Amino acid sequence: MIEIKNVKKNFGKNEVLKDVSLKVNKGDVVVLLGPSGSGKTTLLRCINFLEQADEGILTIDGQTVNLHKASSKEKLQIRKKTAFVFQNYGLFQNKTALQNITEGLITARKVPTKEAIKKAEEVLAWVGMLDKKNYYPSQLSGGQQQRIGIARAVALDPDVILFDEPTSALDPELVGEILTLIRNVAKKGITMIVVTHEMSFAQEVASKVVFMADGVVIESGTPKEIFYTPKEERTKKFLERILPQDDYYI
Amino acid sequence: MGFKLDNFTESLKSGIKYLPITAKLTLVAIIIGLIIGLFIAILRYYKIPVISHILTVLITIYQGLPIMVALLIYNLLFSYYIGPFIDFFHLNIDVNKVNNIIVAYFALSLAAITTMSETFRGALNSIEKTQFEAGYSVGLTKFQTFKRIILPQVIPVAIPGLINNLVGVIKGTSFVMAIGVLEVTNASLIPCFKTFSYVEGYLAAAIIYWFFTIILEVILSTIEKKYSKKSIKSEVIYV
Repeated sequence: MIEIKNVKKNFGKNEVLKDVSLKVNKGDVVVLLGPSGSGKTTLLRCINFLEQADEGILTIDGQTVNLHKASSKEKLQIRKKTAFVFQNYGLFQNKTALQNITEGLITARKVPTKEAIKKAEEVLAWVGMLDKKNYYPSQLSGGQQQRIGIARAVALDPDVILFDEPTSALDPELVGEILTLIRNVAKKGITMIVVTHEMSFAQEVASKVVFMADGVVIESGTPKEIFYTPKEERTKKFLERILPQDDYYI
Repeated sequence: MGFKLDNFTESLKSGIKYLPITAKLTLVAIIIGLIIGLFIAILRYYKIPVISHILTVLITIYQGLPIMVALLIYNLLFSYYIGPFIDFFHLNIDVNKVNNIIVAYFALSLAAITTMSETFRGALNSIEKTQFEAGYSVGLTKFQTFKRIILPQVIPVAIPGLINNLVGVIKGTSFVMAIGVLEVTNASLIPCFKTFSYVEGYLAAAIIYWFFTIILEVILSTIEKKYSKKSIKSEVIYV
């Protein structure tokens, strides 16, 4: 179980997160929705210490850390329990597809090389990229790179995978196949927190939808609750702009 | 003032005999420049408090100082203080035998450090932030990320600039004649003191530098090609 409590984050005078709390059960797929600048991505990055929160407590797998003043050892421990899928793939440019996956296993988790390669080939086969295992990221298309990015996250066997708009850098044709892949990750029962603007994906896959705006959680609930019976005015407004009108009015 | 081939070959021979000195001056300056330059670039890139500010100021100031002026200043200080220095530490060295080539090493190394640290810094800045974040996100430490992910990407980017810095240092070694160190330029002129064949002397020096630089550049650009093959940037194969 993952629990985030009272996370606050400012960028200069700009309050990006104002006291955000979130509970994620094991196996949950939590989708963070909200307009740009609402702090979804920042929240995700705070969980992985890619951004240092000004305040907040994080509990993952029984380990509790202060998001503001975690030691580098604690940061490392938390990072080993999480995996991150980047918007612009974030593959190591100097490593092949296979090495991209084995790097975190061998160097960070001290998995024996042979075992790591076996595991990497397994996940590469699972995302359908085994034949490209010796390709460098620059030789692959965006969709292929994101497949490897997802394979890398899955191979690490984390408590939670954080997806930061995994499809928004892809051209529309490729979005579908990556979403299918993420659906398959969800089917594996891996806990996920997904920031996305893909509404139909959120409706179908999410076990919980969290709507954020202006640095606070406006409301959260099942996809049905959020999309069809939103309680808050702010949520209704947002959905009105994004969904076809009669999609959520009953 | 005719061109005398004999005087030219004489100067050429004399100059080539001192090519090892020029090579040594270059090599020492480059190695020190590479190591300390990279180190400074890293300190400045990671914005280590206080130190990085001091380094920024120092490097900005030092970049405005011509090698020639620096050499003359250091040489002056050296000749003033080497005697008292030896006395103070009771070193068993004869003041008259201390070679001021050490001043040349010092001045050239400092010049190499400043230019190379800037080259490394530029290369570091060219690396996307996501590369660092990706490293951290899979659980690598800061050091592991730098060593295994960032540095291998920085080097191919830095190599053309570093070759440029190297050529600059080679040319810079010729200034060393101003403080009386015998190297290629100075040595090429030795025969001219008798024959007054300065045109031949300078031309001989020019040709030696020319070949030295070209040979080094050819060697280094092969290394560069080998390196950049590892992370193919331009060639995109969509399959």
